[in-house]
Amino acid sequence: MGLTGKLASGILVFIFALSVFSSFISPHEPDMINLDRIKQPPSTEHFLGTDNKGRDIFSRVLYGGKISISISVLAAMLSMVLGLLIGMVSGYFGGKLDTAMMSAVDLVLAFPALLLAIGVSVLFPPGIYTVMIALAAAGWASFARLIRGHVMALRESAFIESARAVGCSTTRILFVHLLPQCVPLAFIMAGLKLGGYILTEAALSFLGLGAQPPTATWGSMISANRVFINSAPWMVLPPGIMIAITALCFNLLGDDLREIFDRVKIEP
Amino acid sequence: MKAYILKKLLLLVPMLFGITFITFTFTKALPGDPVYTLVGERTSPEIIEKVRARIGEDKGILHQYFGYISLLLKGEMGRSYYTNRDVMDDLIQKFPNTLRLAAGAMIIATPFGVLLGFICAIKKNSASDKIISGLSLTGLSVPVFWSGLVLMLLFSLKLNLLPPSGTGNIRYLILPSITLALPALATLVRVTRVSVLDVLNMPFIRTAKSKGIRKTHLNSIHILKNALIPVITVFGLEFGSYLNGAVLTETIFGWDGIGRFAMEGIIKRDYPVIMGCILAGTIIFVMINLLVDIFYHVIDPRVRVHGTDR
Repeated sequence: MGLTGKLASGILVFIFALSVFSSFISPHEPDMINLDRIKQPPSTEHFLGTDNKGRDIFSRVLYGGKISISISVLAAMLSMVLGLLIGMVSGYFGGKLDTAMMSAVDLVLAFPALLLAIGVSVLFPPGIYTVMIALAAAGWASFARLIRGHVMALRESAFIESARAVGCSTTRILFVHLLPQCVPLAFIMAGLKLGGYILTEAALSFLGLGAQPPTATWGSMISANRVFINSAPWMVLPPGIMIAITALCFNLLGDDLREIFDRVKIEP
Repeated sequence: MKAYILKKLLLLVPMLFGITFITFTFTKALPGDPVYTLVGERTSPEIIEKVRARIGEDKGILHQYFGYISLLLKGEMGRSYYTNRDVMDDLIQKFPNTLRLAAGAMIIATPFGVLLGFICAIKKNSASDKIISGLSLTGLSVPVFWSGLVLMLLFSLKLNLLPPSGTGNIRYLILPSITLALPALATLVRVTRVSVLDVLNMPFIRTAKSKGIRKTHLNSIHILKNALIPVITVFGLEFGSYLNGAVLTETIFGWDGIGRFAMEGIIKRDYPVIMGCILAGTIIFVMINLLVDIFYHVIDPRVRVHGTDR
């Protein structure tokens, strides 16, 4: 791993730690309204100032990070599990099932991710779980395509043939023999994609399809405070900077991961 | 070639049917009743029933779906529940605005993206390569809706150079176009860089160099021309990101295009508008991909040979 990769993972660990321990670090209650202190510029009392309801921006950024990052990571895991299942079944059995599943994959991949996620998220009432489902619905396809190729290459290999010869059931071959071969690849892919998940999550919350007020997420903070950008820019700038830094670190890490990825991947 | 285009266009028909069916059934299964959002909760039952009948919500899902399909076949998309305006008319009226925005972004992103990517590749691992590559990765990581707000803060609210929002002449177009162009520009830099590096490793470049061809000639004819092929594919795929970005950019800058229209429809649960926008989006997207395919055939002889086999 190069220096930038190490630096990026260091910053990510720091951001994760800030979000995990947000309840200990944050100096104020994130949702506490204090109408005596509205729209205050940054000070020693409020590091990043307060918003139009007197809530502490610093605390809200910390809590918001917790939600934004957890949603993105969980959604990536959900896409990964879906992609693993579909990809393995599709690659192992082949035939018409494979053709049908891969056309679905093509359709999903052809569609712009954010539009797809918006389309899915209107189907459910807005909230944290809706965002996760929407992100996973837009994200599973690239995992499925990757795992399918990997399984197709492994299907004919000696150890699978031996497993079949000693009479292993199909479920056993899939989950005991093939799955462990696919999981590392899927994890690397998830790491590559996390920057994108962070950005799409932010966009969905910005559009009001995510966690509902008063709960803070980075995207919804920008959306709620954007009318005050001229009079109180400190309300809008910090959450955006946090999104950018987190996504940038994931992308930098992704560049390093891609090299490992190219070594692990087997083409059919 | 013609058969290929025809096949793609014919595939669009079942695809649109599938998409209308899925979105239709799902939107109907949604919690929340458009009739209540339209008239409020305290309205008398007679009025509610009247409104329900006007927008066709009193009939079964299948009945409504076939009603919608027959409407589509007549070339109509129904009327918005709120404005009672024809959705098709609205889409036709708003589409040129989105197109202007996308074109503006493309005009900014393409030349700069290709040029910067080219510089990165021929000066690989130099300071300028590292700076440009780093900036392009940053460009990909900054959320569009935030960079838009920051540009608005700087150029319209602080410096008073450009109008902060609205639809109008070129002065209104500049900020949203730049916002929309940023991620596309960043992607183009990265793709061009990789593509030029690939070409630089080819034997014909060594041959050309050893023949002593002038540097400008080598750069333009030999390297850039060959490197542009994958770039054009990405250029087409990037159109998806313009559609993505348009929803956000139009919402921020109050630009009266399809993206904002769709967003307002979604928030108000205005089904005819949502359906119309999804259909329009799909058609535009498939068409653009088809155009890129065709263009690809035109510029790359290798694809053309393959294409005739199909």
